[in-house]
Amino acid sequence: MPAERAGYTVTMFLVDTSPSMGNLRTVELPPGPNGEERTAEITHLQWALQYVKLKIQEMIYNGRKTDQCGVIVFGSEETDNIINEKHGGYENVSEYIPIGQPNAATLAKIDALQPSSVAGDPLDALIVGIETQAQYLSAKRTWTRKIVIVTDGESPIEVEDWEATVEKMNGLDISLTVVGVDFDDEEFGFTEPNKSNIKRVNEEFYRGFTSSLKHGIVGTCEEALQETARPDIKQTKSTLMGTVLRLGDVDTKADEAVEILVKTSKCTAISRPKSWKKFAIRESVDEDVAMEDDEAVRVAFAQLKMRSQYYVDRSGEAGEEEEEEDVKMEERDEEDLLDEKRTEASNGKPKEEHLEKVEKEQLVRGFKYGTTYAPCPDGQFPRLPTRKGIDLCGFFPARNFRRELSMGEVQYVWADPASAQQQVALSSIVQAMYEKNVMAIARWVTKDGMDPKMGVLTPVVLEEVDCFLWVQMPFADDIRKYTFASLDHLVSKKGENLTEHPFIPTQEQLDAMDDFVDAMDLMDAGEKDEEGNRQPWFDPLLSYNPALHRTKQAMFHCAVVSDLSTNPLPPPHPELTKYFDPPRRVLKRARSAIEECKAAFKVKRIPKKLPRARKDGHEHAAEEDENLLLLDRKQPLSATPSRAVVTDVPPAPSPSRLKAAAKKPEDSETEEESEEEELLLDKVKKPATPPRATKHPLPTPARSLSPEVDPGRAPGRIIGSTFPLADFRKNLAQGDVVTKAVEDLSAVIIELVMRPFASRRSEELLECMRALRETSLTEDEIDAWNSFLQDLKDKCISTPGNHEFWSQVKQVGRGLSLISDKEARKYGGRSAISESEAAAFFD
Amino acid sequence: MPPYDDWNKIDEEDEEELQDISWFEGKRDVILFCIDCSESMHELRDDPNYEDTKTSHLFTALEAAVQIAKKKVISGPNDSIGIMLFNTTRKTEALDHNSELKKGNFAYQPIEPLSAPKIQELIQLLDAAREDPNELRRAFPPLQDKRVPMGDVFTSCNWVIRDGAPKTATKRVFLITDEPDPHSGPGSQQLITSARTTLVDLAQAGVTVEPFFISTPEKPFDVTKFYSSVLLPTNLADEEEVDVSDPSVLPESISITRIEDLLSQMRFHEVPKRAHFSIPLQLAEGFTIGVKGYGLVTEQKKGTYKYFVDLGDRMEVATVKTVYVDEAREAEVEKTQLMYGMALGTSAGAADEEDEEEDSQADSVVRIVKSGKRPFYTAEDIRSFRTLGLEPGIKLLGFKDRDQLAFEDNIKHSQFIYPDEMSHSGSKRTFSALLKSMVKKKKVGLALTLTRRNATPTFCALLPQEERTDEAGWREAAGFHLIPLPFADDIRAATVVRAVRASDELKDAARAWIDKLSVKNGAYPPDSYPNPALAYHNAQLEASAFREEYDPDTFEDLTLPKAEMIHKRAGALMKSWKIALVNDKSADVVTAPGTVAGMKRKAELSVDEAEIRAMYQANNLGKMRVDQLKEFLKGKSLPVSGKKAELVERVAQWLDAH
Repeated sequence: MPAERAGYTVTMFLVDTSPSMGNLRTVELPPGPNGEERTAEITHLQWALQYVKLKIQEMIYNGRKTDQCGVIVFGSEETDNIINEKHGGYENVSEYIPIGQPNAATLAKIDALQPSSVAGDPLDALIVGIETQAQYLSAKRTWTRKIVIVTDGESPIEVEDWEATVEKMNGLDISLTVVGVDFDDEEFGFTEPNKSNIKRVNEEFYRGFTSSLKHGIVGTCEEALQETARPDIKQTKSTLMGTVLRLGDVDTKADEAVEILVKTSKCTAISRPKSWKKFAIRESVDEDVAMEDDEAVRVAFAQLKMRSQYYVDRSGEAGEEEEEEDVKMEERDEEDLLDEKRTEASNGKPKEEHLEKVEKEQLVRGFKYGTTYAPCPDGQFPRLPTRKGIDLCGFFPARNFRRELSMGEVQYVWADPASAQQQVALSSIVQAMYEKNVMAIARWVTKDGMDPKMGVLTPVVLEEVDCFLWVQMPFADDIRKYTFASLDHLVSKKGENLTEHPFIPTQEQLDAMDDFVDAMDLMDAGEKDEEGNRQPWFDPLLSYNPALHRTKQAMFHCAVVSDLSTNPLPPPHPELTKYFDPPRRVLKRARSAIEECKAAFKVKRIPKKLPRARKDGHEHAAEEDENLLLLDRKQPLSATPSRAVVTDVPPAPSPSRLKAAAKKPEDSETEEESEEEELLLDKVKKPATPPRATKHPLPTPARSLSPEVDPGRAPGRIIGSTFPLADFRKNLAQGDVVTKAVEDLSAVIIELVMRPFASRRSEELLECMRALRETSLTEDEIDAWNSFLQDLKDKCISTPGNHEFWSQVKQVGRGLSLISDKEARKYGGRSAISESEAAAFFD
Repeated sequence: MPPYDDWNKIDEEDEEELQDISWFEGKRDVILFCIDCSESMHELRDDPNYEDTKTSHLFTALEAAVQIAKKKVISGPNDSIGIMLFNTTRKTEALDHNSELKKGNFAYQPIEPLSAPKIQELIQLLDAAREDPNELRRAFPPLQDKRVPMGDVFTSCNWVIRDGAPKTATKRVFLITDEPDPHSGPGSQQLITSARTTLVDLAQAGVTVEPFFISTPEKPFDVTKFYSSVLLPTNLADEEEVDVSDPSVLPESISITRIEDLLSQMRFHEVPKRAHFSIPLQLAEGFTIGVKGYGLVTEQKKGTYKYFVDLGDRMEVATVKTVYVDEAREAEVEKTQLMYGMALGTSAGAADEEDEEEDSQADSVVRIVKSGKRPFYTAEDIRSFRTLGLEPGIKLLGFKDRDQLAFEDNIKHSQFIYPDEMSHSGSKRTFSALLKSMVKKKKVGLALTLTRRNATPTFCALLPQEERTDEAGWREAAGFHLIPLPFADDIRAATVVRAVRASDELKDAARAWIDKLSVKNGAYPPDSYPNPALAYHNAQLEASAFREEYDPDTFEDLTLPKAEMIHKRAGALMKSWKIALVNDKSADVVTAPGTVAGMKRKAELSVDEAEIRAMYQANNLGKMRVDQLKEFLKGKSLPVSGKKAELVERVAQWLDAH
């Protein structure tokens, strides 16, 4: 048997397409949208092919070049195989897909298989399979050989000389899996009623055949399908990396300094869900593709490639507002979909777009030092010169180790497996440290010139080997020291320590909590061991990463079905969610303790309230209405849930209202984010809840000084989006805030124009613009108007813009165009725009 | 208004690590240093750090400001800093667009984005002041015999910030003064009231004041004299949760500090405290409190380079936009149109070619289905696969013994949670009781955690941390560390299962020097190890920005082991251990080839090192066989890849070096 290694395998799938495979069966589908049971009728062949496709999909998923497969069908109308070519015979067996690395086309081809009108002999197919595989692997003797037969066992088998086949297969170390449609399986608990005689005999034959093989197994198809959905851990053998463990100065004090050759390997390593590829419907399908099949219109989904484009802002304005992006980020992809709000939120102000595309060749690399450009054409400065190895810096008692500082993946450190002396040397240190119960501080450089890492080594004494475990610890730069208010020491205004306060738990509460902690103990909540003692519940070794396996399942599913609406993804395998709830035993035991706690602590969710009192109630109501409208629109378009809501910047109170709002808090940043999320949720779930009301936490003056400022809301804006014109006029009447009012109204108009359903308010918006222009002209805010108008134009005609509104503006004509120098002079102002430019602006 | 385009989004796949960066970079931070310039601040005293030099508190304060600015300019290139001095007679030159400040206040550096020239200006000023201690007094003459009303100071702060700070930034004033009682004379009540109102104004503008009060033995700082009555009504702490409906509680974190600690105190406040998440913590069905999560341990990485375009007069950063393109059509696809699916595999394999000829090309990137069918998922579907339909929150599953949290059950850095009274009233007492109970019973919690809506669920250990105060006065807060546990998928099996073990004698020999090198009550000291690679990078970045040559010899790596001290303490013991090792019989169980004296680099050599060295000196390395060279290199843990010439080169290098 060749060494077990991933890949280096050829799997032959032998598929039965005899007429009996065309019999229909009823399969259960996941419940429909309303929980109704659903079933579908498919052929045995389609059902059994799911197994083949899932197996092939796994190969595609793992993407190994050395994991290959071929498909041979038996019971095909025609005959096409290498033995038949040479010697004849072996009828109705054809090589359907030659051996190679599978891809989506392989799956598509398998989908095209249909039951035929002639029966085929599985043993013929098996011999063809062995031969085809052997020929392909003639120069690759060490590869693993696997054969899978998928059949319903209803066709006759010519069983003479099967022992010779067994011998051949054992000689080649071929493992055989027979997946039978409705084969009986006592262990699995399936027996087919009214089984035909021939099938009974055949099943018996398969059992005998596989048991005489070195690696043979028969299984029923249903079980096989279930097993493929079970989470399966991709075993990765960590590679051993050579390095040196040092203590002292090996250069100048070599007689004293310690140097041990060691190998390191990973003990934990994060595995992440595989990334999704992006697709989109190709607008027009190739003529020939469309023509090819006249029975139905076909749609092509094209896989998309990611591409980076570079833009520069020559105006110099955006330098301030431009978004920072790490160059490296471009390498990573996706899953930002639901995240728009964050970046949007950080960008309080309309972004001026004077962007110009530049080619990558024109770019130079460098760093930003504040606003200063720090040239660095290589993309990095010379690295700190370092020397490969693990340097011991000192030892400290293990009890002082702070578990929460561990920063990353854990590594094993072994003595060189090739040298007994090195092993003895390391072992003596490990044992001595273990005995003394100390850990070592160590500085690790993985390669000459690589950045050093600090960490700790802890001694580990395993059954037959001594080694270290290493984990990275933080540098001074990695630690953030935030201050948090004390939970125990509350000081009164008079400077006295408080012992009674709503924040401090009472003795009764402490007792209730003690009972709760005892009742919820997991140390005896797991399975019983051999001696009948209960084990702790939860073991990382048995906890599958639900996201990873669910994503994998989804990927497999969509690769093997052609329509997700009619054939949605089945629920996750129960293994994935087994640790999602406390064990029932524990919950039962804890029931009374939980009730006591609830009664003792009286925790109440605080309904989130508006941060600022609004004077006019109807304003509030109007906003709600708008949000509900947005909501209506949003539900069908679930892919872009955040946008509509987040662009909705609530009006800030006008200065006149500030007095009333004085005691109300600003919102903290994180609040903002999470609440926005919750907000979305609430809306999706129960649209009847007034969304506004959930937006802000309890008003408390203390919060007003939080260092965070709400980003999305442009604090201190004095024009609201509900009655912008009224707000504007009110502010003008007060006199001294004209610049601010103009600036805010401009922003609000653009905001509203870009909102969905802006057309409902076009008239109002045009009115606002008239007022804004008039004020701009008379109050010497001419530049503000001109730049606003340009901005509005850019926004409207971009995508997604609001072309409709822009044409309405154009219809109004000169009265809403740029303010020219001529006009400006009448009011003692100046403008950089000439009369003709202004007149031509709408052309 | 948020822009419609969704450029430059950060990939969520890498989760927290990335998240942290974007979080801190995404938000701009503005700090206005507001420094008292009175006579006592100017007074020269013995320098806290250097002997025989005299410096003033003002000097130390400015120096701290420079240090903070230097750190900020790299960690947050978009942040702004300004410096305002009060109680000085120097006047702000009237710049037309800036507000004129109240008398006695001087905006030395208005709030502006950080830049090299600004920092250099400050450094020059401080250099001059170090040369001539009276330089600062000349630059900012103190106001004689009177003080500026604090109300005016706050108002001026407000104006300076209004002029310079972007709206969306976090805005903070670092107030540095040594005067506990600025308004002791007559009319003080009125001045206190005005200070309080102006402070409220400041608060309304979204500005936080973080006071740093300097206390000296001869002039202790008593907050009750003035500041507690001014600061109290609006609580200046960065603690956003303090419940003001209950004024009986004194706000925390007004730092009173000795001048020596000013910089380290400021360091604590350097990064504005921001929560990463604010989610419910479900202790049981119907028993839920609110918590906020903070990243106290996060790897601080070097900044990444950016692409610049030379616009002639200046260098401008290029914005990177990622688009998705159907390459065959050269058509960009809107983000909202994206569908998600499996890679379609490599284009048809070699064996497929014959019969796939006509469509193999298209098949590699296109999947064709009947109209109306949908073989791909939407973004929403994808998210539900990641979260398994869970909503953000921490769900307690139960408790385990403290020792069940193994050293090796680690995969990434922890986060810290603290109760959030604002989302659930009663959170603090419940949290506090839970913490106490778990500490008492030596338990850790086990919880199912989803911190954000598009994160993935993980199992975490809840490690309780009691409140404690260290000698330096730094108080470790009470709370839970949320330690993500590895999944079965993340755990690798041990690679080596068997090895030779040491005898007790040898172990005892090792124990001898380990004893000498142990710090009795020591622990891993993060503060003693600044990241040398990062510091080296930043020093070069600074030199590059200042257009100076960088001298690598000036760099000191504090993480290097103190070899000298090690040899002094334990050298002899290490030597005797090495001798014991050579004489140890345990290694002989395995047929170890002839072991030469001296433990150092004694890999198992099929080729004798002396022999190789002789060959090398005779310039005959080329005559050795490749397998011999490889064997030798393997013994030295060096790579064995490459052609023979490379192997020879590598062996020669090694022999040169040793």
